[in-house]
Amino acid sequence: MAKVIRVNMTDLTVRTEEAPAAWAGLGGRALTSTIVAEEVPPTCHPLGPNNKLVFAPGLLSGTAAANSGRFSAGAKSPLTGTIKESNSGGTSARLLSRLDIKALIFEGQPVGDAWYRVHVNKDGVTIEQETETLGKTNFAVLESVASRFSEDFGVLTIGPAGEQMMGIANISVRDTEGKLRSFGRGGLGAVMGSKKIKFITIDGDGSSPIKLADPNAFKAASMVFTKTLKDHPVSGQGLYTYGTAVLVNILHEAGGLPTKNFTSGQYEHHEKISGEKMYENITARGGEPSHGCSNGCVIQCSQVYKDTAGNYVTSGFEYETIWALGADCCIDDLDIIAEIDNVMDDLGVDSIETGVMFAVAMEAGILPWGDGKEIIRLLREEVQKATPLGRVLGGGTLAVGKAYGLTRIPVVKGQAIPAYDPRAVKGIGVTYATTTMGADHTAGYSIATNILNVGGKVDPLTNVGQVELSRNLQIATAAIDSTGLCLFIAFPALDIPECLGSAVDMINARYGIKLTMDDVIGLGKTVLKIEHEFNLKAGIGPEQDRLPEFFELESIAPHNVKWDMDQKELESFWNF
Amino acid sequence: MGGTIELRAFMGLQMLFRERGWSIPHTFEIEGEMTGEDLLVRLDIPRDKVESFFINRLAIAIEGSVIRPGDRVALVPPGVPGPHRLLLGIHNKAKSRELFGLSH
Repeated sequence: MAKVIRVNMTDLTVRTEEAPAAWAGLGGRALTSTIVAEEVPPTCHPLGPNNKLVFAPGLLSGTAAANSGRFSAGAKSPLTGTIKESNSGGTSARLLSRLDIKALIFEGQPVGDAWYRVHVNKDGVTIEQETETLGKTNFAVLESVASRFSEDFGVLTIGPAGEQMMGIANISVRDTEGKLRSFGRGGLGAVMGSKKIKFITIDGDGSSPIKLADPNAFKAASMVFTKTLKDHPVSGQGLYTYGTAVLVNILHEAGGLPTKNFTSGQYEHHEKISGEKMYENITARGGEPSHGCSNGCVIQCSQVYKDTAGNYVTSGFEYETIWALGADCCIDDLDIIAEIDNVMDDLGVDSIETGVMFAVAMEAGILPWGDGKEIIRLLREEVQKATPLGRVLGGGTLAVGKAYGLTRIPVVKGQAIPAYDPRAVKGIGVTYATTTMGADHTAGYSIATNILNVGGKVDPLTNVGQVELSRNLQIATAAIDSTGLCLFIAFPALDIPECLGSAVDMINARYGIKLTMDDVIGLGKTVLKIEHEFNLKAGIGPEQDRLPEFFELESIAPHNVKWDMDQKELESFWNF
Repeated sequence: MGGTIELRAFMGLQMLFRERGWSIPHTFEIEGEMTGEDLLVRLDIPRDKVESFFINRLAIAIEGSVIRPGDRVALVPPGVPGPHRLLLGIHNKAKSRELFGLSH
């Protein structure tokens, strides 16, 4: 029996329920967004007692399916005021699934000043007061959990930023090697902090392997699925070797690499921060160019980056992080960027929101352009200690831009715009403007053209066809986010029909159901509409589905283009 | 009329450039206007090592592309990730699966 566990932080009680029949076909984002939409008042304060924090494994989490170790966190976001789903790897999705927990829902809010830790195991959930790790950073929390309890527990934790309920705060997840993955976006760490939960541990002892309705059919579909991931040059070779950072040079060449707080589309020192340079450094220093964020990953887009002395610095060193600190903040040294990434992991802050925020802070004159050492000082001495300046910085990109009277503030619905300039890549601009999540590049990832009728070539510099393209990408992404599969399966899905087909076959064999591809795409549409409805009720309507004005006023090199999408056309996004 | 083009490359193709002692960018002389396929032959780079081009910083499919003296040309190998594959037009629906060396 799939369980839903409700942890009430107001009266510190736990209630375990059988999952409602209506939630049977839901997992991951579909489930977190359904629960938030049904149970959270849209106008509530995100940091108040009426918000809920929901964790849900995907439909295939915990199975032997390749790349199925992802899970979702959902709540009303303190950064955007919208519904929010964030997605992470790590070990916890697998453990929750094997404990037959379909959703873990945190409700209410303690009245006093005490903080808590929550423990999940086969017998249920316990809540204990926590003092030892208060004020401690994430790596210290992991050490504490390992020494006090077990090295094998799944861990979900917040750092000092989450404790201080900052908008840049993430929720960090222990990975297979005792390092950190993140529910990065939307300030969900602040929601966890508002419920005074320092960390959650998950003990998988005594759990059972996932029961499959049709083991043979599952195995057959799983083999096909894995083969498509390994056969495709993106998921099987490109990501495996170079990770996502290879996009630095590509986006520079396309003129869509936002540079110096979005004042240019090209960065003079792009080669120094490129994926190719990262690969060179990693292989020369004994690091790992290929690495998985969760069990069963065959794509291995993560990596372990070491310093010149061969010491671990960071892992999961993503394009968007490198872009934000590199091109956007003009730091042309990959080693310093890696060091900052480590500090961000330790403090528990979103590396996109924080990097973009620092570029705005540089424009505001808080620190010089390109000064990575000063970023580390500001993170350690101001953000970590929650000084008045640290709180302004911790509020995120919009907070800093407003505090310093800037007009070039790259956010949509309060969330920082990531690494693709919408003037040179118009389709991503539509996604940034219309997604239910605030600016989010992952909301509209590449997916099967043949299934979704996304045909032909779309000119990135013109508006023609961009709304339809973005709509189809967002629908498909919402569906993938509900499966527990890594979003990067989108690449083989784009070219190999058997990829998505076998994923649907695995879901059917797992649950003994007969979903079609249309059903799965239909699920994506439903998820988007549920989320959109929540946002409308929260007072976030078409007026907020737009990019900041400066994109319409300022053109960027080398293509010298502005954002000129008609607002009415953008509003047509929801006509489905 | 002949002239030079400026060549760039990404990922494994950068390694190939280095093995050949080519800088990035690498200046390459062409006799005149030529197709993308012909350029790859001239460069002695197998067709299956290149998924698409950037020509003067716009993603262009190899099929039907024309290279002219003075152009800035970047070679994009198979395996480049990212939402830009569709949004920039690197992903070309017409391309054959054999290009990726797929076994089915």
